[in-house]
Amino acid sequence: MNPRPLSLLSGGLSALLALLLVSALWDTPVHEGVSASVAGAMGHTGVAHPVTAVLLDFRAYDTLLEMAVVLLAVLATWSLGRCDTLPARPVQGPVMRGGLRHLIPLAVLTGGYLIWAGGAGSGGAFQGGAVLAASGVMWVLAWPRRPDLPAPLGLRVGVTLGVAVFLAIGVAGLPLGPGFMGYPPGWSYGLILTVETAAACSIALSLVLLFLGGRPWRDAEDG
Amino acid sequence: MEGMSDGLTWAAWLLIVPLAGALLAGVWPRAGRWIALATSVLVALLALGAAAQVWTQGPQVVSLGGWVPPLGIGLRLDGLAAFMLLVAALVGLFVGGYSLGYIPRDGHGERFWALWLWLWAALNALFLSGDVFNLYVTLELVVLASTALVALSGGAAALLAAMRYLMVGLLGSMAYLMGVALLYTQHGVLDLGLLAQRGGEGTAMMLAATLMSVGLMAKAALFPLHVWLPPAHGSAPAPASALLSALVVKGAFYILLRLWLTVFQDLAHPGVMQLLGGMGMLAVFWGGFMSLSADRLKPLVAYSTVAQVGYLFLAFPFLLAGPGGWHAAVFLVAAHATAKACLFMAAGNLQEANGGDDRLASVAEVMRARPLTSFALGIAGASLVGLPFTVGFVAKWILLQTAITSGAAFWAVGVVAGGLLTGAYVFRLLGPAFRPGPGRSGRPVPVLREGVTLALALVCVLLGFAGSAGLRLIAATPVAGPGG
Repeated sequence: MNPRPLSLLSGGLSALLALLLVSALWDTPVHEGVSASVAGAMGHTGVAHPVTAVLLDFRAYDTLLEMAVVLLAVLATWSLGRCDTLPARPVQGPVMRGGLRHLIPLAVLTGGYLIWAGGAGSGGAFQGGAVLAASGVMWVLAWPRRPDLPAPLGLRVGVTLGVAVFLAIGVAGLPLGPGFMGYPPGWSYGLILTVETAAACSIALSLVLLFLGGRPWRDAEDG
Repeated sequence: MEGMSDGLTWAAWLLIVPLAGALLAGVWPRAGRWIALATSVLVALLALGAAAQVWTQGPQVVSLGGWVPPLGIGLRLDGLAAFMLLVAALVGLFVGGYSLGYIPRDGHGERFWALWLWLWAALNALFLSGDVFNLYVTLELVVLASTALVALSGGAAALLAAMRYLMVGLLGSMAYLMGVALLYTQHGVLDLGLLAQRGGEGTAMMLAATLMSVGLMAKAALFPLHVWLPPAHGSAPAPASALLSALVVKGAFYILLRLWLTVFQDLAHPGVMQLLGGMGMLAVFWGGFMSLSADRLKPLVAYSTVAQVGYLFLAFPFLLAGPGGWHAAVFLVAAHATAKACLFMAAGNLQEANGGDDRLASVAEVMRARPLTSFALGIAGASLVGLPFTVGFVAKWILLQTAITSGAAFWAVGVVAGGLLTGAYVFRLLGPAFRPGPGRSGRPVPVLREGVTLALALVCVLLGFAGSAGLRLIAATPVAGPGG
């Protein structure tokens, strides 16, 4: 099909959908949602920030599956083949590498802080993981000829860690009383922090590996 | 174990076991086949346990982590969910056995095992979910695992089909997510049961219903949103094609049915339901004609999925036909899943024996010399058509019965005419094998694979005896609105 009528068609459909959405939402009063019940239940969870409480306690199962989406994206990318050699050539001169020597420790510190801050304010595993991943991407770009990555088994364990730790804690809820994906009373803060830390490490590693865009080892090196 | 009689425990382990298996197989791809084997046996036993639980104790809705909806997420283990879990476990078990003889022991092919377990975990999570946002996350997992499975065979055609499938899948997910946002804006809850109580018929509800239905219809490959399916299911490795055609399209159909049974029950007007049923009938005829004109084995079987998905959409007009009118269409899911998985497995055997060539003209010679696979192909084809002594016959019979007793006899005409069309393409597929001519067994195919294919064909016969039990299980689904 000629691309022009096709783009006109999809543009028209999008405009129609936008019009319908506006007309449907114009006089719909915005529902306050679950904010009242979240506020009422904050006393029963170990964290002080409502968003963290929703993500890692009330709707922990959703977050487990979302972390699984990130992991599955990495596995799916790996199943497509090996990564290309990075297209970027190393930047000449001392500025970039020297800059990164200072930036990366700072990014690690910021990422770590964001994970820890999620317990009481804005932050958490995804935000902290994204900052850590950004430093990882800079590091890969600065030394593209020498992607000094861990062994394949280490990489596979690393990307799996977050989901595995979360699942293990969720399963532990079964014999301990609160049921699947529940925390025993009094343990929530520590367990949530454990999950967030493991999740942030896995998310950061996953994002860097997705940036590489393929499996950084040969089929024969599978363990 | 304490609490094992509890419905939550069965549901939880049906999520935990395949997920744990998928994680292990991802870490150790080389041990993938043994992890997958152990996992599939365990999941099959758990699915049986969960079904027995529903059978004896009735449906259960449980909340995760002790947080009751709207705060937390509920899981639903009812007849409909248990039936789908059983179908997935049955097909999964046979596809797993088949794959032991299909997946090479090199590094690349062995990634199949982890992806397959991921798909299974995602489908189990989808069938058990009782929350519209949680369903969205499971849909994302399903589409990622399926895309990777399509692409696994490599080559430009497979990659193109996988990319197109990913695009359609994401578009469908986006439409669904927009619907979720609209529902949450109006009602402030995400739980299926609570949304069903809120109901509502306003413009925003109708828009949500349209967006979610169209998105899921694209994922279920309902005509005219089916164009992605034949290349994707036709170019995937045989066990992946079997999983995609037997289970993945049904996942989208399952959510659609679930939504119309709960959230959108007030919108289930006759006109809307007839429209969905009518599109299903168009799919039956279009898919049938395309199958009839296909000249290669796998596209023929893939177009047949387009046709058979059409029948499932009769569930919607039958919703209004009386209490439990939709049960017949759900039972057809089991009939089609077993027959279609068996057909793709047989097609994989024939294609490999014929040196990768699956043109109907040249495959006939191989069929004459491979009686096990040809016999399986014949039985699965008979079940697809709905000939007696197969589960397909029982399913079509119940479907006709529902159509006639509910005073909607014109759907029965469609079912019969579609059955004749199915008969035409199945005989086109099988006919050349029965004509006299030279036979050659071609390249070697592991006997395990031919045996598993035949065993699944026999299951298509045996399941015919499970008609009333299956319907009783499906009936253990609480429905407040139409169809209850």
